[in-house]
Amino acid sequence: MNIAEIRNLSKRYPSFNLKDISFSLEKGRIAGFIGRNGAGKTTTIKCMLNLVHPDSGEISYFGLPLKDNESEIKQRIGYSNGTINYYPRKKLSDIIAVTKSFYSNWDDVACYEYLKLFNLDLNKTPSELSEGMKVKVNLLLALSHRAEILILDEPTSGLDPFSRDELLEIFLMLKERGTAIFFSTHITSDLEKCADDIIYIHNGKLIASLPVKEFMKDLGQSGETLEETMLRIERSLRNV
Amino acid sequence: MYKLLRKELKLSASPLSYLFIAFGLMTLIPGYPILVGAFFISFGIFQSYQTAREANDILYSALLPISKADVVRSKFAFSIFIEMCGFSVMTITTVLRMTLLADSVVYRSNPLMNANLIFLGFALLIFGCFNAIFICGFFKTAYSYGKPFILYIFVAFIIIGIAETLHHIPGLEALNAFGFENIILQLTGLISGALLYVLFTFIALKKSIKRFEVVDL
Repeated sequence: MNIAEIRNLSKRYPSFNLKDISFSLEKGRIAGFIGRNGAGKTTTIKCMLNLVHPDSGEISYFGLPLKDNESEIKQRIGYSNGTINYYPRKKLSDIIAVTKSFYSNWDDVACYEYLKLFNLDLNKTPSELSEGMKVKVNLLLALSHRAEILILDEPTSGLDPFSRDELLEIFLMLKERGTAIFFSTHITSDLEKCADDIIYIHNGKLIASLPVKEFMKDLGQSGETLEETMLRIERSLRNV
Repeated sequence: MYKLLRKELKLSASPLSYLFIAFGLMTLIPGYPILVGAFFISFGIFQSYQTAREANDILYSALLPISKADVVRSKFAFSIFIEMCGFSVMTITTVLRMTLLADSVVYRSNPLMNANLIFLGFALLIFGCFNAIFICGFFKTAYSYGKPFILYIFVAFIIIGIAETLHHIPGLEALNAFGFENIILQLTGLISGALLYVLFTFIALKKSIKRFEVVDL
């Protein structure tokens, strides 16, 4: 069952164009979103959250167009950006208390569990946390309202290998519960561990949106890892 | 709306926004252009916009399960709340000057604007201009606040200059009424200021919602 549908998404900037991006995200599947820096991953994600207005194309969640159902849809999706931190001088307890008040499905038990798992201190402020811990705060906010789909922009960047592994375990647990996960990353080994699908863009164009096995069968060569395949494709596209 | 205002008060607001409400007490300073107090109160609100930008507040708000129009409404709700707190302080001190201190020599011999209902009307006009020029200007980009604030400073001080000058013009002395003198004129000044405040704020809100809707974050 499709949870999200992105159809013919285009956005024109003076020096960059996102062209005709289409893919869908399914319930209980993990999709990895890959591409070089500047390929259009963050622009695509921002369009999917109505933060950036596409010039054309359609985005829908749960069969509802995002444009007309923004509040309702955002109740059911979770978003985390690995690098941005909100309210650096406010205590985490205050940030969580305010965020919680906006979600009808906020799960206090889940929130407490993630707090313990991520080893976060409610009395600390984001400015007192390391980059990796800030990523965890964003993840905590995205995970605690029982989102049916998680959209995560580089959620594992800045995390130590142990935390990354824990996070991937959480992804797999959420997948079992039927949550769809869409995450951009440069760490291809993370995708090899947990992704079901690969969505690959290059210079604003969709190269592939396929299950991992088909992706490797169609685009990979014998004995290659995902990273080696990606590097080879990037090199060949650069030479075109 | 309560949730949105709570978010503004707990997360986005600078402590200076609350502290600067006390500038409403400037109404009691003799020999001072007391309308500057209204400007300082709005300057306190401006501090919250600086704090909010550093805290990625607009992005955080836009990601909450609310519409983009609600993000704008929350900013207006906060500004109106602080303005009304400041206006309440100015009203209490003005009433004090109109009653208990109406015959005080320091106020009677003051060449500058007297604290009366017309003064309160001008204060509301300044707050309305803050909403219309600064907040509405901010939502053009949801990022840049320098230009709209400079434009607002310019307009606010022109209004203060006009208010301080008018009662010196022959025939307009009644604008500087003490106590309850010329009360109909005073009430007209207050009501006119209130109507302009509501009108400017309403137009600014509508325009800001339209502007923010097309901003890419």
